[in-house]
Amino acid sequence: MNKYTLSKRQVVNELSTFYSFLAGFLIALIIGSVILLIQDKSPIDTFSLMFKLSIGSVNSLSSSLNKATPLILAGLGIAIINTVKLWNIGAEGQIFMGAIGVNLIYINFQLTSSTSFIFLLLVSAFVGGAICILIPAVAKVLFGVNEIITTLLTNYIVIGLTIYLVNGPWKDPGSLNFPAAAYVGKEVYLPTIFGKLSYGFLICIFFTAFAHYLKNSSVFGYEMRIAGGSEMTAIYAGINAKQKAFFAMLIGGGFAGLAGGIELLSQTHRVSTGISQGFGYTAIIVAAITGMRPTGIFLVGSLFGALSIGGSVIQTIGVSTYIADIIQVSTLFGALVIQFFFNYQLKRADDG
Amino acid sequence: MVDIQFLGLLNATLQAATLLFIASLGELITEKSGILNLGVEGMISIGAVAGFMTAVNTNNIFLAIVVGILSSSIFASIHAIVTVILKQDQTVSGLILTILGLAVSSLLGKNYVGRKLETKLESIFSIENPSNVLEVFLNQNIIFYLAIIFTITISYILKNTMFGTRFQAVGEDSKAADSMGLNVTKTQFIATCIGGAFAGLSGVYLTLSYVPYWTDNMTAGRGWIALALVIFGGWKPYRTALGALLFGFLEALVPRLQTYGFELNPYIVKIAPYVITILVLVLLTIYKGGKTGAPKNIGISFFRENR
Repeated sequence: MNKYTLSKRQVVNELSTFYSFLAGFLIALIIGSVILLIQDKSPIDTFSLMFKLSIGSVNSLSSSLNKATPLILAGLGIAIINTVKLWNIGAEGQIFMGAIGVNLIYINFQLTSSTSFIFLLLVSAFVGGAICILIPAVAKVLFGVNEIITTLLTNYIVIGLTIYLVNGPWKDPGSLNFPAAAYVGKEVYLPTIFGKLSYGFLICIFFTAFAHYLKNSSVFGYEMRIAGGSEMTAIYAGINAKQKAFFAMLIGGGFAGLAGGIELLSQTHRVSTGISQGFGYTAIIVAAITGMRPTGIFLVGSLFGALSIGGSVIQTIGVSTYIADIIQVSTLFGALVIQFFFNYQLKRADDG
Repeated sequence: MVDIQFLGLLNATLQAATLLFIASLGELITEKSGILNLGVEGMISIGAVAGFMTAVNTNNIFLAIVVGILSSSIFASIHAIVTVILKQDQTVSGLILTILGLAVSSLLGKNYVGRKLETKLESIFSIENPSNVLEVFLNQNIIFYLAIIFTITISYILKNTMFGTRFQAVGEDSKAADSMGLNVTKTQFIATCIGGAFAGLSGVYLTLSYVPYWTDNMTAGRGWIALALVIFGGWKPYRTALGALLFGFLEALVPRLQTYGFELNPYIVKIAPYVITILVLVLLTIYKGGKTGAPKNIGISFFRENR
């Protein structure tokens, strides 16, 4: 006989997600240390170096926040779509599509005022991301096709399209060994606030606030939550659940597209396969870890941005960059395990 | 005399189909128990790298297969612990399993990129230059025949045995199954690990036979196509096998279209399988009108309230 039984807690601590995240991060650091020890590297040296090179100076801190920008924006997009209880695994493709949208408008139009031109390009990035999720959204809403698989598969399609474009129609003859499109002109670069910190991060702060408002305070957000809850309630409340799901998906896709546009205009300055280094996938971890809360996504996204920067610079001492990936994933797994203890409790059975 | 090009196409179809099918069969078993595991891509990757490393270091193909299967199975148990025992969200856990699997396999396989395999998984009756359809079938390796045996036995067990009926009851209505005295937690845990074992076998097939080398992300979305195949097959082994053959045929056909006189852009050819998968999923869902045949409890963690 089991001496202990499991029961659901009636009251779950409000900050449980936050505590779970902290504990998960600690667990991840321990797992990371074990992997480093196996490879004969000192965990303390490695982590302190990662810390120093990711947030130790103004320049490294701004690099980290620049890196965090696409993670946060794509994560916010995933969170908005999750309000209607749908998953967006296609953020990676939407990021690429955003960049493609920017380049498409850039090479076909020319505005004299660079401020309004940048604005137009960012809008086209948003539209690009929304177009990218259009087919999964229509398939889901009209026919009920599983959106997880369709959004994931669009990643492979859009990355394939990018490879086609940079090897074919958009190929820059000047770029010899790395296929890429031509650089965009300096007049459309996103300016920097200070150090290397791009205005993209400011846009990111604005969109975090917007996503928070949209999810928690707006009428649309309220309708989305009902649409994602019970079908009967939505019908009773006169809410067109399919319409809400459709627009939630387009907006969420647009957020990820914007991430790609900002990445192009502030970091890479041209379309190539290097537009995203798995940002769309890391964004899933960021969104899931925070329970889809925009403010949480902002904070965890910033931390993960720093981790990625730290992870890429420790290559120089012979540590694989995958250590950062593994820390990020382990954080989520650790957080899930801890979350269990917030949601459930073990009780001694009466009848033993 | 059969056209040599046709035989080549048939051979490539069977190989591509085997790779996809083994993974989808594993996922089918997992999903029949009510657990959705989106980590197929990651599990295939783990099996692929573990099998390849073992084969390079020991030159023992049999050991490589066993290690590949076991490591994926153990890897899948992470998903089982998080979802079955700790009752966390299956979608989140599965997705993360994919990301983790790809990261861990890249980390492990770092020193094996570009390494050559001394002995690859050979076919049982090694026939050089098969000249008819039968010889192409006989020229496959052991995993192909295993796939056929698995299809027949698993379909039989699910349909005709008490064990199979009980097993499916867990995925259809775990509360009822629990009150019948079935051990839901144990069933789901084992089913998840079996799913991982199959994904591992698929991974081993990938690195020991299909493309006998290792590179990062070489699974190239096959895990996701395998997931789509389960839906395509309506959670039935034979139909899933049929779906795998169709997709295997397309994967084999598209790069060959050029030899049949079609001028195609090679970059566009590469995205064709993914476009076709989406298209087929959409058409199939329209055709079935929403009745997919999915186990009713899929994705919902079982929790017996304190009684």
